[in-house]
Amino acid sequence: MHEFVGPLECAAKAAFYVVAAVTLAGAVMAVSARNLFRAALGLALCLFGVAALYFFLEAEFLAVTQLLVYVGAILTLIIFGVMLTARIADPTVARWNKQAGWAGGLALVLGLGLASILLKTSWPAAPSRGGSPPVQLATLGRTLISTYLLPFELLSILLLGALIGAIVVARKEKT
Amino acid sequence: MIVPLPHILVVSAGLFAIGLFGALTRRNAIGILMSIELILNSANLNLIAFNRYWGTSNGAGQVTALLVIGIAASGAVVGLALILAIFRHRQTISADEIKLLKG
Repeated sequence: MHEFVGPLECAAKAAFYVVAAVTLAGAVMAVSARNLFRAALGLALCLFGVAALYFFLEAEFLAVTQLLVYVGAILTLIIFGVMLTARIADPTVARWNKQAGWAGGLALVLGLGLASILLKTSWPAAPSRGGSPPVQLATLGRTLISTYLLPFELLSILLLGALIGAIVVARKEKT
Repeated sequence: MIVPLPHILVVSAGLFAIGLFGALTRRNAIGILMSIELILNSANLNLIAFNRYWGTSNGAGQVTALLVIGIAASGAVVGLALILAIFRHRQTISADEIKLLKG
């Protein structure tokens, strides 16, 4: 990392803040849209934004995984769920329940409080000016099957359980 | 590194607060599920940011984020299956109307 702040770095910085704003706007759309399909599109925007933020943090593999798993699989599932259950665009159905007032206050206080604490804290400097070196994909794989072997195997059992459980729960009942 | 760490953490805190609000207030069960995905994403963003700034050389933060993505996927699958089953039985997925266990 060099000390000189060139126009390229300035542009990258500006791009980061734009992406962060788009991500938060997508999140707001996902929780506030009356039409659930629109909320799903807001969620898609937010997930794309988070993947772009991963690129800024030099976690390329995580960014691609985010796109594949979240946008490719989970979001497709959610949109299927939205389309299979009726009354998604009914304007008479309230989008929020009676807790909206205090929950909004709680979320606002929590978000603003956390933000002010995070900005006021004097963080210790990173070990090197460039932060940790970017994680190589080979290192990631080696860590996953050595140090984190047990969580990895547990996760595969969990996924198998989720697969079987989803089939059992959602199949048509024969009576 | 391009951006100071606190700014990334503020974005993550914002995502968490928005997700919390959605999970507490959405009437629709699928809306609650989407809010939970937002919260998991904010946790992942934190993990990866800290890994970038003070991480060990083996990338433990990124591995943890991968595991969280896997857990989020299985959670979404089972949650949507339950929602579809409830919809088939009761023709509604509004969390307010599903109160069979409430005396």
